[in-house]
Amino acid sequence: MASVPEGKPIPEITELTRPFWSAAKQGKLVMQKCQRCGTLDFFPKPWCIECGHRGLEWVEVRPHGTVYSYTVAYTVMMNYPAWKDDLPVMQCIIDLDDGPRMYGQLTGCRPEQIRIGMRVEAYFEDIGKDSAIPKFRPG
Amino acid sequence: MRGEVAVVGVGRTPYSRAKQGERTYTVDEYLAWAADLALTQAGMSKNDFDGQGLGVAHAEASHTVNWSAAVAETLGISPKVLLRGDQGGATAAALLIRAAAMIHAGIVDRVLVMGADTPLTIPSIAPGLPLSPERTRGVFWDFQGPFGVMGANSQFAMVQTRYMHQYRLQPEQLGKIAVTTRYHASLHPGAIYRMPFTMEQYLASQVLSYPVRLFDCVPMVNGGLAYIVTSADSARTITDKPVYLLGFGEVSNYYHGPRTRPDITFTGFEQAAPEAFKMAGVGHRDIDVFEPYDDYPMVVLIQMEDYGFCRKGEGAEFVAERNLRFDGDFPISTDGGQLSGGQPGGAIGGFMPIVEAVTQLRGEAGDRQVKGAAVAAASGFGGMTYARNNRSCVTLILGSEA
Repeated sequence: MASVPEGKPIPEITELTRPFWSAAKQGKLVMQKCQRCGTLDFFPKPWCIECGHRGLEWVEVRPHGTVYSYTVAYTVMMNYPAWKDDLPVMQCIIDLDDGPRMYGQLTGCRPEQIRIGMRVEAYFEDIGKDSAIPKFRPG
Repeated sequence: MRGEVAVVGVGRTPYSRAKQGERTYTVDEYLAWAADLALTQAGMSKNDFDGQGLGVAHAEASHTVNWSAAVAETLGISPKVLLRGDQGGATAAALLIRAAAMIHAGIVDRVLVMGADTPLTIPSIAPGLPLSPERTRGVFWDFQGPFGVMGANSQFAMVQTRYMHQYRLQPEQLGKIAVTTRYHASLHPGAIYRMPFTMEQYLASQVLSYPVRLFDCVPMVNGGLAYIVTSADSARTITDKPVYLLGFGEVSNYYHGPRTRPDITFTGFEQAAPEAFKMAGVGHRDIDVFEPYDDYPMVVLIQMEDYGFCRKGEGAEFVAERNLRFDGDFPISTDGGQLSGGQPGGAIGGFMPIVEAVTQLRGEAGDRQVKGAAVAAASGFGGMTYARNNRSCVTLILGSEA
């Protein structure tokens, strides 16, 4: 049985997903690009969700995008009490300029300043010896 | 397949919030309890399902690789066919379609379908929260939780924010749905929260994850539900109140727009519902009672649109104009829904729209009975995807006449 978690949720890094976390540690945002149809997609998949091609290549994407939607958490709703220190947590769906969509935490502004369509840029915060996670701030 | 099968019995156990000192029950106990209620209503015995079908919904608590067979062992039933659904809140509705297909094919004549869960008492990675430690952890999880996505509240909140950006919506319209379901819960002895609240109380309820308020959120409960479906011919020998499956539609992993970035204000119901209406040969005005999947008012309003009861983006107006009460012109969630009735885990709440639709169509809903209810629409809705539409949407059209 799993123990009661402490801190924040930490990803389980696998061979499939390691390139993302390692690149983030280097301050880069990388995602999978289909070598057949060119689709860029996120989160990591075993094949292209457009054409089913298994040849996916990790490529760097521009760390810029717009807020597609957002929520502001005023209470911890999942199993990780450590989010409490960060409340209110501003949580967004970001549509990146290069195409893919991702979830991301927004910092560096007040909740009442978030707008759909707002321009944001990624920055990276260490979460382990070999991994970091992208977060976003206005930019 | 219109009218080829009918539901002849339903069961819903009392629910529990597992308060201190309360007797708690296991999933197996709830399954037996719910099945017993359905069997009693149908005047059948569990032995009637030897050589027939048994359907079991996946629950948080079910982790063996052969859960449905383990349930058969526990209950002492020797079915020919086991159906196991794992479509979250769409499981119950999807299993009804699977059962209908097995009956249509002549493989079995009847199927007992059951589901139960005890999210408040299974070993959980945080007490009181509905995530079991053995839960299958898909790759997607690693790209949600660590990024700050705090479960369904966050995900539905982001749907709502986007909806408010694209269309007109005031909190009062979602409040009307929440207030109405609570009123219906006050008329249903089995609902977990029965004290009515006002619009002012709704608007004053704490914002948990903007724009989602406390009174927008479904409360978890322990409990179990079951139904029995059989061929129309057998149904007529079992009961004088068979409830026929007139139509169904289903889609999983629906995208409205590009796969990589679809419009999240839509659901797969815009595909599933028209299929169901067409098969049933009924129109929107024929629906006497609507039992949506209602874990959040926002998803209820979107279902009204995606079913075609009103146009896309006009759900708020529709809600404002219609009377949603059981005695109104567009009754919804007449059992109090999941919002006030309680959700027996993320997978089992999907039995409630079926059980309530059948109860209404049998004319057995007591104080909340929709007068002359003859045709009902009921939803199954299972799971949110990663910043896209949703996992499974199932529409059922049920009727008291074939």
